[in-house]
Amino acid sequence: MKGAALKLVMLGKRFKGKSGETEALRDVNLQIREGEFVTIVGPSGCGKSTLLSLVAGLEDATTGWVEMDGKRVHGPGADRIVVFQDAALFPWLDVTGNVEFGLRVARVPRRDRKERVARHLATVQLEKFAHARVHELSGGMKQRVALARALVLRPRVLLMDEPFAALDVQIREEMQSVVQDLWQRSGATTLFVTHDVREAAVLGDRIVVLSHRPGMVSQILENHAPRPRTLKDPAVEEVIRRSNEILKAEVQWSNNQTKLLL
Amino acid sequence: MVEQPDQAPVVARNPERSLAWEFRHLVPMVAVAVVAVVVWDLIVRWGVWGILFPGPTDVGHALVVFWNSTRLVRAIAATLRRLAVGFLMSLVLGALLAFLMVRFATFGKGIQPYILGLQTFPSIAWVPLALIWFGLSETTLLFVTIIGSVFGVSIAFADALRTVPPLYLRAARNMGSDGMDLILRVTVPAALPHLISAAKVGWSFAWRSLIGAELIFATVGLGFLLESASSVPDIAGVMGVMIVILVIGIVVDQLLFTKTQEWANRRRGLVPHR
Repeated sequence: MKGAALKLVMLGKRFKGKSGETEALRDVNLQIREGEFVTIVGPSGCGKSTLLSLVAGLEDATTGWVEMDGKRVHGPGADRIVVFQDAALFPWLDVTGNVEFGLRVARVPRRDRKERVARHLATVQLEKFAHARVHELSGGMKQRVALARALVLRPRVLLMDEPFAALDVQIREEMQSVVQDLWQRSGATTLFVTHDVREAAVLGDRIVVLSHRPGMVSQILENHAPRPRTLKDPAVEEVIRRSNEILKAEVQWSNNQTKLLL
Repeated sequence: MVEQPDQAPVVARNPERSLAWEFRHLVPMVAVAVVAVVVWDLIVRWGVWGILFPGPTDVGHALVVFWNSTRLVRAIAATLRRLAVGFLMSLVLGALLAFLMVRFATFGKGIQPYILGLQTFPSIAWVPLALIWFGLSETTLLFVTIIGSVFGVSIAFADALRTVPPLYLRAARNMGSDGMDLILRVTVPAALPHLISAAKVGWSFAWRSLIGAELIFATVGLGFLLESASSVPDIAGVMGVMIVILVIGIVVDQLLFTKTQEWANRRRGLVPHR
């Protein structure tokens, strides 16, 4: 299954809360080619996660819309799978049960299901843990199960919501290479949200920098460094430097705004 | 390079566990029972209340008499049958009510105070009305059992369903699950430990309501046996039946609920320490 082209058109989201309305995202326009790996980076509270929820269809946009291969998307669908920050594995199922969850929902026949689950557990190197329970897994292993659970459904779009933020540095770097590898094999269009500029620079073909609340596209950087990449690549270092400059300016600007208001 | 776990997860259990090992946690429980009976016997031997307070041997003898006349067996069978039917029906109705309360939040908010009120309403107070409606029948006993527990069950079930982390529902909806599929595949299993506690609450309500109703009227059953022993008066018989009622309560609680709850918790790695 090939990836899908995504188009975000004038996408905006406001939340109604107790202390009035909060604008999380404003007028986000973005075109993503099929099979592209785009990272979205921005200060905390810039609406990065909201952006993914809108693309996943788990929340409705206040303004604008999302197109997949030229068609508007409505509601959630197994063609756009999210990998959540804390894996969101189901503790009442074992590893196999978690990975085959979406296949069961889609009523995939048992033999086909078993075969696909086994194959995907092998790609994330967890075949020995097929019947382990969720609480027996480490953080990195949980995220690998979450990746297998997502990719087994052959999604056309993979949405990753700070999936490695809670992991140790060492495991995070290892997971970054796992993701690059899986992305190249699956061909899924990937939107990867992170607050870690270095992670964004290593993984993305393009790095979308969002502004502080409300989140707007501040700048888009390109990264042409060959894969697999590491933090040491000069091209990656250059992207990190420029992203940091933009983000610093963003933070300064928003601080000044606060001062002006006071 | 791939992160290696420190050790393989402990999945296999020790296969050479004997039956005695399986029931080792019952040892303190049995010890308490033995001590209680000994203390009871000593108090009786002291002779403070005389014949109004029979000892363990008298009570045991009364139970043997009941048993030999098959009255005890028939009483236990009748009561347990009513309990099973009544409790199951109250689980089904309670689940339905809970589902409606959670699914339609405004309805839930509106009805919750009344259900809470009805939950505290003494179930025995339903008996006069039930007698008029259904007469001296099995239906009356079932009605009181159900009405005495269904409100407690529905409140507890609703609370259990509300404990399901929204993230699980998001993840499941994201993978294409919705409607009934979502409820059966995610909501129920996610809430299972709480649902079992809720059922446990319901069972104790049902048990109390049923015995109470049987005391007021019935022609067979533990409540009836208790009442008829009292009118003789057969003091040892009364205490014997009371002990039988207590033991049934303990056995149901241990076998039906405590075991299943431990099982559900162990699967998620939430092992309660003993």
